[in-house]
Amino acid sequence: MNWDLIIFYYLAIVMIFSSVFAIFSRHPIYTVLLVLIMIIHQAFLLLTLGAEFLTVVQLIVYAGAILVLFLFVVYLINLRKETKRNIFIKKISIVALVFLLLSAILIKNLFIFLSLSPSFKAYLPFNLEEKPNVWWIANYLFRNYLLQFEIIGVILLVAIFGACFLIRKVKIVEEK
Amino acid sequence: MEGSIEKFIFTLIVAIIILVIALLHVAYLTYAERKIIARMQQRLGPNRVGPRGLLQPIADMLKLLTKEDITPYGVDKPIFYIAPFISLVCAGTGVALIPLWENLILSNINVGLLFILALSSLASYGVILSGWGSNSRYAFLGGLRASAQVISYEIAMSLSLLSVVLMAGSLNLMDIVKAQINSPYKIYLIPQIIAFYVFIISAVAECNRVPFDLPEAETELVAGYFVEYSAMRFAIFYLAEYFGMVIMSALAVTCFLGGWVGPFEVPYVPFFWFLLKLYILLFIYIWVRATLPRYRYDQLMGLGWKVLIPVALINLFLTAFLKLIF
Repeated sequence: MNWDLIIFYYLAIVMIFSSVFAIFSRHPIYTVLLVLIMIIHQAFLLLTLGAEFLTVVQLIVYAGAILVLFLFVVYLINLRKETKRNIFIKKISIVALVFLLLSAILIKNLFIFLSLSPSFKAYLPFNLEEKPNVWWIANYLFRNYLLQFEIIGVILLVAIFGACFLIRKVKIVEEK
Repeated sequence: MEGSIEKFIFTLIVAIIILVIALLHVAYLTYAERKIIARMQQRLGPNRVGPRGLLQPIADMLKLLTKEDITPYGVDKPIFYIAPFISLVCAGTGVALIPLWENLILSNINVGLLFILALSSLASYGVILSGWGSNSRYAFLGGLRASAQVISYEIAMSLSLLSVVLMAGSLNLMDIVKAQINSPYKIYLIPQIIAFYVFIISAVAECNRVPFDLPEAETELVAGYFVEYSAMRFAIFYLAEYFGMVIMSALAVTCFLGGWVGPFEVPYVPFFWFLLKLYILLFIYIWVRATLPRYRYDQLMGLGWKVLIPVALINLFLTAFLKLIF
């Protein structure tokens, strides 16, 4: 049992349990906090793989921006406690079908995963020691996947326009 | 294996020493603030405890430690208890990443700059959660204001630091300092004066200091998000705020003012210039507090989104353009 494995199992167990508790928690703030715990552990899982840039991006984007916005929304609508019990599991057959399909995918991937060699570095198309993380990511993003990157940029821009449009509309109504 | 354990223990000892020194700096920063502001307002400031009041921070600390820790009625206990620690840890961890000297950095990671930004964005959790968990209107409003402010000014701060990253070509803080030493001006303050300006303003806003101290505006919100806290938990929030100031100033020294490098070498004190620059920046923080009145909230948001972010963006494009030409 080496340290890498101990750390991996610790991170994996905390991630699984915090996500399960986040799903079953009836308190919106605790849900956000449990997801935060999950995301921080996920970030450190990336760190154990040597992806330091992705770790920090995970922390900045997911923990620092998106979850803060979630918290902000929960804050603004001031949900102290979720009292309503939602019964969305009415059609148990569909739920069972989806569950079985997802489990099948999971089990198939588990078998693939078990057949792999334990060293992840064997699968990297590049050498992490040679250049820093950021260099490799930029290299792949702006050479191999430039078109996809630009398309995502345009989609985000459209979303921003949409948000601005919605705000404008409210203002015009108020002026009349 | 033995070598790694020795290294671990050595790093641990250095970490504890640096942490104690940083905590002393934070404690005496409160003293310096009270003294300087008193001088600027034609008062004497603390002068009873010890010679010239020099033991005042220690007396304050003892007082806060021995006071009763009150938990108000109706608070969300786990959140109320954990919020100050989130603030302190996020503010204090940055010390490990700042290169104090060529051979004195606790953790020289490749993405040090981004890590400090990540920590500063995580620090907003302490503020938001304390505001939410306190079950108080004042704390709630303070938390609401603080979260919006921190999210807004983080963007301007990151953009201003990005132009430094562009010039240095690295996210490693040590490499940034070394790139500055090799650059024609020795420091990035001269070519990146706009970025420095944006960074200082947003750093003041990130630390919730005057003139952007709306989350804790005394005249409106009593003390803002930590109004319900008392004794040690209050002290931890206080500590986190001043720790934030020290980290932001240290980051400015590292990214804009050339870190430990000075016009000449001071014997036996290799980080003399680092500390000097740090103290000058901290003095500017206090000076600003003594001079400027508080902004209105819409002015604060307008400044962040309509002035600082566009200016930082233009500066970033300009830097990229100039770097492409030369």
